[in-house]
Amino acid sequence: MQTRDLADLADLALAEVTRLGVEHADVRARQEDSESVQVRDDVVEGVSHGSSSGVGIRVIHDGAWGFAATSDGSADAVRRAAQQAVEVARASAMVRGRDGARAQLDERQPSVGTYTTPHERDPLEVPLSEKVDHLMSATATARDAAAVSYVEATTEAWRTATAYRDSSGGAVDQLVLQVGGGLAAYAIGGGEVQRRSYPNSFGGQYETGGWERVLLLDLIGGAADAARDAVLLLDCPDLPLREDAVLLLESSQLALQVHESVGHAVELDRILGSEAAYAGTSWVAATDRGSLRYGSPLMTVIADATTPHAMGTFGYDDEGVPAGQAPIVTDGVLTGYLTDRQSAAALGEQSNGTARADSWGAIPLIRMNNVSLQPREGDLASIVADTDDGVLMHTNRSWSIDDKRLNFQFGCEVAYEVRRGQIGRMYRNPTYAGRTPDFWGSCDALGGPSDWKVWGVPNCGKGQPSQTARVAHGASTGRFRATVGVR
Amino acid sequence: MWGEDRLTGLADGALSLDGDVEVVLSRTDSALTRFAGSRIHQNTSRLDGEARVRVVLDGRVGVMVTNDLSRDGLRAAAFKAVEIASFAPADPHFAGLAPAGQPYGRTAGPDEETVGCPPQRRAELVAAMLAELPTGVEAAGTVETSLREHSVVTSTGIHVYSAQTGAAASVLAQGPTSSGWADGAATAIGGLDCAAFGRRAGEKVGLGAEPRELPAGRYPVVLESGATSDLVQWLGWLAFPGRAYNEERSALSGRLGEQVCSPLVTIVDDPLSPRLPGTPFDAEGTATRHTSLIEAGVAVGVAHDRTTGAVAGSGSTGHALPAPNPEGGVPHHLLMAAGTQTIEELVSGLERGLYVTRFHYLNVVHPVTTSITGMTRDGTFLVEDGRIVGGVRNLRFTQSILDALAGCEAVGSEAELTAGDFGGGALAPPVRLSGFTFTSTTAY
Repeated sequence: MQTRDLADLADLALAEVTRLGVEHADVRARQEDSESVQVRDDVVEGVSHGSSSGVGIRVIHDGAWGFAATSDGSADAVRRAAQQAVEVARASAMVRGRDGARAQLDERQPSVGTYTTPHERDPLEVPLSEKVDHLMSATATARDAAAVSYVEATTEAWRTATAYRDSSGGAVDQLVLQVGGGLAAYAIGGGEVQRRSYPNSFGGQYETGGWERVLLLDLIGGAADAARDAVLLLDCPDLPLREDAVLLLESSQLALQVHESVGHAVELDRILGSEAAYAGTSWVAATDRGSLRYGSPLMTVIADATTPHAMGTFGYDDEGVPAGQAPIVTDGVLTGYLTDRQSAAALGEQSNGTARADSWGAIPLIRMNNVSLQPREGDLASIVADTDDGVLMHTNRSWSIDDKRLNFQFGCEVAYEVRRGQIGRMYRNPTYAGRTPDFWGSCDALGGPSDWKVWGVPNCGKGQPSQTARVAHGASTGRFRATVGVR
Repeated sequence: MWGEDRLTGLADGALSLDGDVEVVLSRTDSALTRFAGSRIHQNTSRLDGEARVRVVLDGRVGVMVTNDLSRDGLRAAAFKAVEIASFAPADPHFAGLAPAGQPYGRTAGPDEETVGCPPQRRAELVAAMLAELPTGVEAAGTVETSLREHSVVTSTGIHVYSAQTGAAASVLAQGPTSSGWADGAATAIGGLDCAAFGRRAGEKVGLGAEPRELPAGRYPVVLESGATSDLVQWLGWLAFPGRAYNEERSALSGRLGEQVCSPLVTIVDDPLSPRLPGTPFDAEGTATRHTSLIEAGVAVGVAHDRTTGAVAGSGSTGHALPAPNPEGGVPHHLLMAAGTQTIEELVSGLERGLYVTRFHYLNVVHPVTTSITGMTRDGTFLVEDGRIVGGVRNLRFTQSILDALAGCEAVGSEAELTAGDFGGGALAPPVRLSGFTFTSTTAY
C-alpha cells in the first residue's frame, strides 16, 4: 500500500464495487505488521518482520457470492478487483444447488465505530535488543538448571489495522494488537525427544495487548522447572494403556479440548455443511439447541469477544458486528452456536459476531473468539486431593479429532499418577482418547475462578484457501473419564 | 503474469546495500471455487506477492518480508532488514549465501489455459463433478487454479526465475448414511478429469451405505493414493528434515544405509518432476534435484538447507524453506515409486482387511518412531476374500509410518498427485500393507 491510508482505500473499493450495481458489498482494507524472534540457547535463530497490506472486496450479485482481493492499492487495481468480484459472483450463480437458494444476510443496523486494543507498549516498537535479551535470559536460566539438549524461546507480535466498509453504511476502523511468548526445553536421547514448555506449548501463551503482556508471562521464572522436567522425562516410563481411567487435565490442555471438541463443533457454518469437504461437519445439528445434552451439568461454555487481554478479543468482527457474548452450553445443555451474518440468517436470527478473515485477501469465516469453559469451584490441588486413582496430564503435545468432532485423541507433554489424593510418579508420552459427549458427560469436577485461565491458540486452521485464526479459551482444571496410554 | 525481468528487476535497489543480500520474490494469482450442498457458496480470487529480503552483516542476519512489490517497497524492506541485522547477535551456524554458477534443471513452464482460467471455467468443472453423482447425493468440494512466479536474486550473483501453474479439484459425495471422496491435482487445469472424480466419489456412497461397526484392532489394509500420500508427507516432516536428522530427532538418525521398510518402498524428492509443481531452485537459490531418500526400503538420504547441510558435512540438497527457518531443509516434492498392480489386484490380495480412501486430521504421537494418529473418512470399506463387501464406520489409527511401510506387500501402478490437508502434497501410489493398527472407532 503505497500512498493511500486504509480508510481511503476501503472507501475507494466500496465506491467502485457499489457502482457495479451489486446487491451487497463489504470491503476490508487491512495492514498487518508482524514480528517474530526465535532464540535457541544463546543463538538468535530467526528474526523477521513482516508487512502485508491490501483490500478484499466481497459481493452478493445475482444472489451469489463473489470475492476478489489485491495487494495493489492503485485505483486501477482496485477497480479491476471490484470487477473481478462481480465476475466471480456471476460464475457462482452458475451452480446454485437443487433448491436454487440465494445468498442472504441477517437484518441488522450497520455499525459505525472504532476500536483499539488497550495496551501500554506497542510490541512492534520494542527494541529488538530488549526482546533478544529477555529471551536469552530465559534460555540461560533453563540451561543452568538442568542438562537439557537445548532450549528454545520465542516471541511474536501482530499489529492489525482494518478499515471495514459495507454497502449498508457500515464503517469500522479497528486496531488489534496481539502478542505471545514462550519457552521449550528439550531433552534428547535413547530414541526419545522429550519437551517441557512454559507457560504453554507451541510458542507459549498468546494474548491481546502490548509488550507488557509478554513480560507478565515470566518466562525466566518458569524456565528452570521446564528444563528439569524435560530431563526427568527421558528416564520415565511410558504411560500404560488403561481404559475408562480417571483423567485430570490442567487448564491449558482442557482449553485445547474445548477448542477441538466444543468450539469447532458449534460453528454454524460447519453444522450447515459449508466446511464438509475439508475440516468436516459436526455431530451437533442446527435443531439441537435447547435439547442436546453436551456434557455434565458442571459444563457451561460462553463465547465472549470482550474478555480482557484474551487472544480472541476485538471490537468488531469482519462483518462489522460489535463484539459481544453468546451462550454455547449452559449447565450441560447446548444453548447456542457461533454464527456469522449468513448462517444466522439461515436460522432467522442475527449474527453473534464471529466472522473473521485472517487477511485482506481472505473472506470472513465463522471463527472462535474466546470460547471459554466457565469455572466452578476448587483448584488443581483440591481436585487431586479428591481423586483416589487417576492420571493428571499437563500441556498439549498433539491433537486429532474426527470430521464430526466426536472421536478425539490428544497427546500431552507429561502425566502424573494420582493415588489416594497425592501426585505420584511421572510418565512420558501420555495420550488420552474418547468421544465428545461421553467425555464431557463424565466431567465431575471443574476448578474455580482462582484456577481458571484464558489460553491463546494462535494457529487455528479452517477454510479453503486455508486461513489461520488467533483465538482463546478459558478453562480450569477438570476431571473426566477416558482411555489413556494409547500408542 | 509479470515475467522474469519485471519480477527480478525489483531486487536491484536491495542489492546495492552493504553486506550480503538475498531477495526471494514471489507473485501469486490464485482462485478457488468452493461448493457445498451442491452449490457454489464461496468463490475467491486473490492477487498477492511477497519480497523476502535477507541481509547478512558480519554473520548477523536480518529478514524483512513485505507484500509491497514496488521499488520503494523493496527499498524500504531492505533498509529494515539491515536495521534488524545490525541489532541481531551474530549467528555462528549461518552458512552464508549460496554461490552463483550452479547448474539449474528445468521445470515445465506455466500452462496458458490455467494462467487465464476464468471463474466460469471453474464453475463448469464443479458442474461436471455434480453431474456424475447419483440421485439424492449432495456434494461439496473445490476447484482451484494458481499461477506462481518465483525468483531468487543474491549479491553473490544468483539470478533465477521460475513460473508454474497448478490446478486441483476435489469432491465429497454425501449420501444419507455414507460419503465418498475423490480428488486430484495437476500442473494444468486440463489435467483434471473432474467427471471421473464425481463418478468415483458417487460410487463410494453406494458401496459404503449403511456402514457396519468394526472393532478396533490390527487389520491388513489397502490404502488409496491419497492415504499413502499422507503417510509419505508425514515422513517428510518427521524423518527427512536435515536438522532433525543431525540432532537425533529423526527415525533415520544414524541409520542411513539401513533397511528401514519394505524393499518395495522407494521415496524420492524431485521438484523437477513434470508431475509436480516444483521449481529449479530452493529459497536460498540452491539448485534443486532428484534426491533419493529411501531406496528399495533402505534409508539413503535426508533433506538439507545450507545450514544443516554444513553441519552434516554433506552440503545443501536444495531443500531450503524461506528464511528465517530454524527447522532447516524439508522435502516438499515427495514421490513414492509406483509398482505394478492395479487397485483391483491390490484388493484381490486381501483375504480380510480394510480399504481406506482417505485419512483425516493426522498428528504426531512419537516423532522418533514416526508414530502418528488420525481418522479414516469418506470411503472406508471391509474387504473379504479379495473384494469389497461393504462400508464400515470410520476408525482412528495410531501407527508408526515406517513400521506400516515395513509391511508393504504390494504397490499400485497408478500414483496420483493429491493436494495435502493444511499444505503440502505428494505423489504416491496405492499400497497394500500387511498390518495397520486402528485404536478406536467413531459413530458414523
